Amino acid sequence: MISDERQRAVMEHRLSGLKRPESGWSAPVRSEALAHIQRVGLPSRRDEYWKFTRPDTLVQASAPKAALFDNDESPVFGEVDRLKVVFVDGVFDLELSDELALEGIVIDRLAAVGDQGSHWAESVYGKLEQRGQDPVVRPLAALNTAFATDGILIDVQQTPSKPISLIYVHANETSDAILHHVIRVNEGAAVTILETGPAAARFNKCMEIELADDSELHHVRAQGRDHERRAATHMFALLGARSQFKSFTLTVNGRLTRNEIYTELSGENSSAHIAGACVGDGEFHHDDTVFVTHDAENCDSRQVFKKVLRNGATGVFQGKILVKPGAQKTDGYQISQSLLLDDDSQFLAKPELEIYADDVACSHGSTSGAINEEALFYLRARGIERAEATDLLTLAFLREAVEEIESETLADEIVSRLMAWLLRHRPE
Amino acid sequence: MTISSVTEVMDDERSVKDGVDQETVDAVQKISSYKHGWETDIETEYAPKGLTPDIVRLISEKNEEPDWMTEWRLQAYERWLQMKEPDWAMVDYPDIDFQDQYYYARPKSMETKPKSLDEVDPKLLETYEKLGIPLKEQLILAGVEVDEEDIANRKVAVDAVFDSVSVGTTFQSELKKAGVIFCPISEAVRDHPELVRKYLGSVVPMSDNFYATLNSAVYSDGSFVYVPPNVRCPMELSTYFRINAENTGQFERTLIIADKGSYVSYLEGCTAPQRDTSQLHAAVVELIAEEDAEIKYSTVQNWYPGDEYGKGGIYNFVTKRADCRGDRAKVMWTQVETGSAVTWKYPSCVLRGDDSQGEFYSIAITNNYQQADTGTKMVHLGRNTKSRIVSKGISAGKAQNTYRGLVSMHPKAKNSRNYTQCDSLLIGDQCGAHTVPYIEVKNNSSRVEHEATTSKVDDDQLFYCRARGMDEEEAVALVVNGFCKEVLQELPMEFAMEAQQLVAISLEGSVG
Amino acid sequence: MLKIKNLKVELTAKGKSILKGVDLSVEAGSVHAIMGPNGSGKSTLSYVLSGREGYTVTDGSVTLDGTDLLDLEPEERAALGLFLAFQYPTEIPGVGNMTFLRTALNAQRKARGEPEMSSGEFLKEVREKSRTLQIDSEMLKRSVNVGFSGGEKKRNEILQMIMLEPKLCVLDETDSGLDVDAMKLVAKGVNELRHSGRGFLVITHYQRLLDHIQPDVVHIMVNGRIVKSGTAELALEVEKNGYADMMVELAE
Repeated sequence: MISDERQRAVMEHRLSGLKRPESGWSAPVRSEALAHIQRVGLPSRRDEYWKFTRPDTLVQASAPKAALFDNDESPVFGEVDRLKVVFVDGVFDLELSDELALEGIVIDRLAAVGDQGSHWAESVYGKLEQRGQDPVVRPLAALNTAFATDGILIDVQQTPSKPISLIYVHANETSDAILHHVIRVNEGAAVTILETGPAAARFNKCMEIELADDSELHHVRAQGRDHERRAATHMFALLGARSQFKSFTLTVNGRLTRNEIYTELSGENSSAHIAGACVGDGEFHHDDTVFVTHDAENCDSRQVFKKVLRNGATGVFQGKILVKPGAQKTDGYQISQSLLLDDDSQFLAKPELEIYADDVACSHGSTSGAINEEALFYLRARGIERAEATDLLTLAFLREAVEEIESETLADEIVSRLMAWLLRHRPE
Repeated sequence: MTISSVTEVMDDERSVKDGVDQETVDAVQKISSYKHGWETDIETEYAPKGLTPDIVRLISEKNEEPDWMTEWRLQAYERWLQMKEPDWAMVDYPDIDFQDQYYYARPKSMETKPKSLDEVDPKLLETYEKLGIPLKEQLILAGVEVDEEDIANRKVAVDAVFDSVSVGTTFQSELKKAGVIFCPISEAVRDHPELVRKYLGSVVPMSDNFYATLNSAVYSDGSFVYVPPNVRCPMELSTYFRINAENTGQFERTLIIADKGSYVSYLEGCTAPQRDTSQLHAAVVELIAEEDAEIKYSTVQNWYPGDEYGKGGIYNFVTKRADCRGDRAKVMWTQVETGSAVTWKYPSCVLRGDDSQGEFYSIAITNNYQQADTGTKMVHLGRNTKSRIVSKGISAGKAQNTYRGLVSMHPKAKNSRNYTQCDSLLIGDQCGAHTVPYIEVKNNSSRVEHEATTSKVDDDQLFYCRARGMDEEEAVALVVNGFCKEVLQELPMEFAMEAQQLVAISLEGSVG
Repeated sequence: MLKIKNLKVELTAKGKSILKGVDLSVEAGSVHAIMGPNGSGKSTLSYVLSGREGYTVTDGSVTLDGTDLLDLEPEERAALGLFLAFQYPTEIPGVGNMTFLRTALNAQRKARGEPEMSSGEFLKEVREKSRTLQIDSEMLKRSVNVGFSGGEKKRNEILQMIMLEPKLCVLDETDSGLDVDAMKLVAKGVNELRHSGRGFLVITHYQRLLDHIQPDVVHIMVNGRIVKSGTAELALEVEKNGYADMMVELAE
């Protein structure tokens, strides 16, 4: 709820520069989202849910300037055969993108079909986000629903032959992008979604995923090496019976990143595996906020988050497993760990369990500490020099998260990016 | 009997599980018994209902306090008026009308203070006798079987607090010989103002939180302990709190100071009669451990929990905090929380001295409609500080049980360690068990480890016990006692037995 | 090859003196054993040789083929050819045994200016050498020492030793926690490595390992000093009479 005039002023200032379509199938849900924001306000530092991350730069009227980053690395997943969809500063790029057609799927752009009277995405767009507003409000996601300028709407009818790759390019120092994607995976189908790149100076992204019974979605994301970008992303996933949702995110650098994932296991025997590896050096604030709701029997969920921090970097993990009454035989696991490579970095965590069913096995663990000196000495005693030994142990630490990626090719690529990062960031 | 080997014994576990579950559900319907729910029929004088500056002054006057204490209370009262009741805990209860309570209730017979235990109203003495806490110096706490020889070494000094006043304190002269001060805090304010002024409010500031501020304004009595440098307190100290009067809140204040190199073990017990309306208990406990001092503080909290429909019971809103002020100071909190309708309590340690240590061992059992939101804060400020948290939550009936904790490693707390283990057990599918830890690590030489699990009572273990002839309730009590063992073994012997029985009683009829 | 002169060492944290003037020379091609009661400083010596933190050298010197070891980092000592078989090999979750071994091998080769070993060549070599030690491919795939039994850990140490071809091998209580069969395997591995250019320093509490690895010289360490040196006979004498006699003898 909006608690004071200052908060109201911040919200009004932010909303004043934004436009939304007044007609078309998405208009009603956009209005509802706006009404929601006007009721609850935008995140403020006093909100419990923003205890560890200052939302100021995410809610201010315009994007803080972010210098462009000259990335000399080859494109991530460049070798993977994929359907490329490219957004430059939040604007679809026809030239760089492939033709939006692939057997088994129907793919539209929100900006292109938004003014139609009806669309299949109507049943998902803003609807899963709405479900995710309780018990904790997520005003930045509602803001996204209300004001998204574009995004892709994918209806996966049959398993496509290759992954769909969303590529975000940051080309303008003050760009402020809002994209909203909807993915519906029909019964028995499976799809892989890749996301890469820094997107914009400030990026607000929302992805809603509806998984029908027996369907699968694999999501692998690399958020780009851009040093100064800021991002607030949300994923909302609703899982049908026996469906599988797997998401992995690699974050290297970025001034501020808040990745929220809200997953509802609403069909029996469904499974959600959510993982993240982040490596931060210097001015870097990374926040993983994960909320997993078990609302059906015999489901399993895993949250595996690893953070390596140095030179004053901050890592945040807020993770929750909520088991609703009746969600018996739930298997819930959550681990959050940070490796602090020096004394200036910090790790802040709130790993929660909220459980209303008795026949469950839920656990969480959280650790924070420096590199294991015993192991370091052992490696050095075998002739491996300190820097390389540190890298080896760091990579070993991150591995548990990377192993959550099912595709070996994709996992290998993530490992090689991590190794490259570690090599670049070796202390002098 | 080894319960752990049970899985190897069982062949057809599936059918067994189903069998046990059904009986479990039936048993949940049964009512648990509260054995301390009786009332002492005694004439009581009350201060007028409600809270005003005049009531604050009246309490101060009844305690014959010096002006500085009265002023302190009034200041707290003013602050309290500005504060809001906290709403972040996972507990839900009707609004409390703070003007519809008595803030002071004293047995009429206590109007003139008895000079010795012999002069205390026999009805009051009987009350404690019945509770198993005889206010006699030749006896140790009831129910403890020890060798003849051992009795001399197992003395327990008791301060008995009845509603708003202390009715008597045993072994005072013997303690005095050792230099230990153990007396009602009302007496300490008069007799040891230099100590009280130095330490009161120094760990839990007057306006720390809503309930602590309320307590600062209206606390009526409680215990005071001072252990001088290098003295090992010759016996266990304990305070037994009894709420008897209706519509009355109990606001006690405990202050324990362990000076350099000293040691003290302190126990606290509490009960109340069975009533339909809820009653408020808002205590403040402050512990100060100076250099090389050690304080062991154990609680068996057995306030009336309300009936099986959630009617009545104590609202237990307590602020407990320890300050390990000196290097190598050590504080250990052990709590067994079985009573109260609502519990809001986080015994904490500020680890200020280098190499200081804090420990927190907790069992919280909630049944029927009980709600508990409890845990600890370990704030590491000094170097090489260590903390350990072991929390066991058991939830049955329609109860909600939350562990809430904070482990904070400040930038200067180099080389510090924390280990936290939170386990929750659910008995029946109508209850809830929650874990809300906050972890803040701001240096890299410190190591923090947190683990938590939630599961149900192991059906295999229950069946194994039953196959050996135990009935379902015995089996549950045994298995739950096993689950709690890590904490139970930290209790002083006097309390360990009572606590074990309590674990069984609290779960009566909640089997599963 | 290894020359230790008047080595005095204390624990950095507590300032407690552990080694109180150790003199020892191990020549190429020879096997020296150090025996002694618990707390005599045997393991400290192995840690100081390998460069573990937490010890302060207050006096004396250690050289390997003329190079001063004490100023070198642990990895530099390893590249020079010093190998310590740990008493308690460290578990490193997430680092594969093969990755570890290959990284170590190539790091040492690089430090010595030698070409790196290709992965094909490496694989062939590991397979061959692990066979003698009865280390199967499943064990090679696991993380370093994670989930290994006591015997597996020690065999893994010896495999590393064989692969890395050090000049001087220090075996710290390699027999502890081993049954007779495992000990024979370990001894076989060591004996196959015995070579005119290589020296061994075998630290052990018991004589039994020395039945399988015949030492040329036996030293007895008591209270931070080598108090007696002799032939393999000396070890048998200790086995028979224990250390107590020797300590009494010394006191006289």
